[in-house]
Amino acid sequence: MSANRFFATGNFFTSYREEQRIFRTHLDRGLFILFLACLFAWPLFFDASNRTMLVINNILIAVVAVYGLNLVTGFAGLISIGHAAFVGVGAYTVAGLAWAIGEGHPLIVHWWPLMILAAGGMGAVFGAFVGLPAMRLKHLYLAIATLSFQMIFTWTIKFMPTFNQGQMIPVGRVVWIGGEVGRKVHYLFWYYAILVVAVICGLMVRNLLRSRYGRCLVAVRDNDRAADAMGMHPGLTKVYAFTLAGFFAGVAGALHTYMFRGAGFESFTLHHSITYLAMAIVGGLGTLPGSLFGPAAIYTLELQMEHLSEWSGTFLPDSFNLATALRPLGFGLVIVLFLMFEPRGMANWWRICRSYVKLWPFRY
Amino acid sequence: MTYFFQLVVSGIVVGSIYALSALGFVLIYKSSRVLNIAHGQIIAGGAFIVYALTVFVGLPIYVSFVASMVITFFLAMSVERIFLRRLIGEPIISVIMVTIGLMSILNGVIYLTPFGSLNYSFPEFLPTTPISLGGVSISWTQLVGVIITALLIGAFSWFFKRSTIGISMRAVSDDQFAAMSVGISVPRVFGLAWAMAGLSAAGAGAIIGNITGLNFETLGAFGITVFPVVILGGLDSIVGAVVAGIIMGLIQQFAAGYLDGNWGLNGTADVLPYIILLVILLFKPHGLFGTHEIERV
Repeated sequence: MSANRFFATGNFFTSYREEQRIFRTHLDRGLFILFLACLFAWPLFFDASNRTMLVINNILIAVVAVYGLNLVTGFAGLISIGHAAFVGVGAYTVAGLAWAIGEGHPLIVHWWPLMILAAGGMGAVFGAFVGLPAMRLKHLYLAIATLSFQMIFTWTIKFMPTFNQGQMIPVGRVVWIGGEVGRKVHYLFWYYAILVVAVICGLMVRNLLRSRYGRCLVAVRDNDRAADAMGMHPGLTKVYAFTLAGFFAGVAGALHTYMFRGAGFESFTLHHSITYLAMAIVGGLGTLPGSLFGPAAIYTLELQMEHLSEWSGTFLPDSFNLATALRPLGFGLVIVLFLMFEPRGMANWWRICRSYVKLWPFRY
Repeated sequence: MTYFFQLVVSGIVVGSIYALSALGFVLIYKSSRVLNIAHGQIIAGGAFIVYALTVFVGLPIYVSFVASMVITFFLAMSVERIFLRRLIGEPIISVIMVTIGLMSILNGVIYLTPFGSLNYSFPEFLPTTPISLGGVSISWTQLVGVIITALLIGAFSWFFKRSTIGISMRAVSDDQFAAMSVGISVPRVFGLAWAMAGLSAAGAGAIIGNITGLNFETLGAFGITVFPVVILGGLDSIVGAVVAGIIMGLIQQFAAGYLDGNWGLNGTADVLPYIILLVILLFKPHGLFGTHEIERV
């Protein structure tokens, strides 16, 4: 390691310990802390409308969910077309309980951090269960097995009276220090709650990836036969990749239920699974910053598409329904263009910028 | 007992449509190892082209049936040329996601046409009184649909077994390098596989459209409902597609006929194929007729 740990040009690792650090340089650490401070402090200075807060909260929830998807699809290389179902499992852990014992029960409104953890646990259990076929199935067959889980989940929610047959199940307002979280501060409160969870989850993933188990995931993705020969257990590794994905998805689902003060089946359909996949890919599969960029990019795109179709509705005849057409068109084009021209996603742009600054004034 | 036979008949009708739709997946997968998730949209597109040619242009329905097949043949071929050609050799997730993106784009394009939101039904061109045999009835549209399906599947099997292009497609699916070394153009075969799949999709679309009416949601959803069929039969087997198609058709009809309404169950026809699929995959990871891949490090 060079003497100046703030402005190192290039990597100078002299031991494996150094390579496994969370922050390679002091600059990384400093920037990360600055970034976090900005995230926590900006609501104090700007008075954001509820609509903006809603979008930002949605993005952060998707970030937590995409951590999980990135673990299973990006790092372990197992295609999951059923991620929204895992999110749904988490959401319905809270909502189902609220339906059974009443929306204002102390367990739901006082012990909500515990409920979020429980939802994560439930997601993990389902993840492990769905991951079991991964012991034997590969590639496309596995992708379709996860798709089956998605279909079975949607059907269960839609037709079971236990879950109000997919109709909205209300969940009460939570209680925090100083009493109930009221309507005015609802989104702000959940912004902080979700932000804290997202940061904790991000650190968890980062730590996992530098540990033995995280490296195991990558080894199994690159070649599971070779990983087997090196003494890892590919089957178990795949199952726990799904378990972890289920955990993060479950946490995201619980946050979703609390923030929307309820859950209905429309938020957890196949379409959403595909959206999560698109977020992971646009952000960059198998990269941690990608999990942040992807959801932000996709939500921004959707917002812009909405604006565009509203604007076009002012001068186009009604019969020409551009509004319904624009969303799938824009969404599909973004996915296809990214895969064709930047398959490593937006995280690659970030990497290029970083290495440019790091190596400056040298070009290579 | 009549009820049972009625369910069997409609199961076979639905199953043969599944088989024809599954054929498109199998054709593409067999040659280029791509799972085309946008297939449902191509099916819908084919059906809409038939309708547009028949009603808006005024061609006889048989002519527009064939014309639609020709159009989707070239459409699917150009889709392969534009989107998938540059992804040869990319990881499997990229290829799947490109077809998902394609599905989204095609959805958007179809929403731009009047077919996106309105319902249409084909003009009647067959006798409307159903044929009845000992209480079991089948409509003329269904009967003709099954016959055309059988003919198309027979033609495709013959094509794969006997014709030069079919044999070169099988060669590519077996070993791309070996195929190249005997002078087969692999990209051309990929394009042809897509074109063939487009052709079969238009056929399937026209038949489904005649039986159920033209609704974009229903037709597009076929791309997803047909997954259990393809996987059950094995992704690369035409025989598998036919057998699994008919099995799934029967299962769905029996589920709708016997399970729905009893024990508080509803809509079981939508979910049962997936449950059976999961169970079968646990015991036969490559489907009923799929080839086992031998992997080397």
